[in-house]
Amino acid sequence: MSMSGTFHVEPRGDLEIFITRRFDASRKLVWDAMTKPELIRRWLYAPEGWEMTVCEGSVEVGGTFKWAWNGPDGEPALEITGVNKEVVVPERLVHTEVMKMWGPGLPPEGMELGELLATLVLSENDGRTTMSMTLAFASKEARDGALASGMAEGMSAGYLTLDAMLEGSSGR
Amino acid sequence: MVAQQPGLDDVFHALAHPARREMLRQLSRGERNLTELAEPLDMSFPAASKHVRVLERARLVRRRVEGRSHICRIEGEPMAKAVEWMEAFRRIWEPNFARLDALLDELKQEPETGDR
Repeated sequence: MSMSGTFHVEPRGDLEIFITRRFDASRKLVWDAMTKPELIRRWLYAPEGWEMTVCEGSVEVGGTFKWAWNGPDGEPALEITGVNKEVVVPERLVHTEVMKMWGPGLPPEGMELGELLATLVLSENDGRTTMSMTLAFASKEARDGALASGMAEGMSAGYLTLDAMLEGSSGR
Repeated sequence: MVAQQPGLDDVFHALAHPARREMLRQLSRGERNLTELAEPLDMSFPAASKHVRVLERARLVRRRVEGRSHICRIEGEPMAKAVEWMEAFRRIWEPNFARLDALLDELKQEPETGDR
């Protein structure tokens, strides 16, 4: 298995989700790709088939950002906005995130999900970068909302196995 | 005050502890009694029982008492729900990260641009 593909998702405590992913590039490059709007829009499509319509923001404390996507039907589907709370180039970024969604069964003005706090940490070793991201939801409602949006993606339970998940989250 | 339906929070809380994940791993292979669950974890019966109670609250595990034996079995549905959630998360994000891999490869080829 390629080292750059290693991607873990695991719950941490009651309200947090912890994600790690390794990239075969320096921390500076990963930081740029994850924080510069002109680079973000080249990879952050959200689900396949979506189109990013807004990608703007400034990476400084107090700076805001806004990302928005249209779904495959060309209608607004998702918007993420937030405020940067901590910025340490090129290793640590803490920002708030509020998600708003549109779609079948949701009100026409969209549904806002509760705020979460995202902490991005990049560490470099031998020219490779490990990204870790902690998503801390403000409330159980917010996390269950994120659950609902994840479930709405229509995944099939068929190929999921208990063992795979337990191996993935045993982190020892 | 306990909700009727186990929330995802109960499930995540239950999954957050390595001992409970180990118990689920054991139970995914079949029924086990409490002593069998406690043993590989080097745990007392009451301590193991406490962990099983957390798993029961999340409806990940069901326990029945036969004589002196507390027999535990795994319950599929809440587990599948949590797994699906994480799988969905991964499914949405991994293609993005794969594109990010490709972009990073491209950026590595480019000479340093003059911006700060």
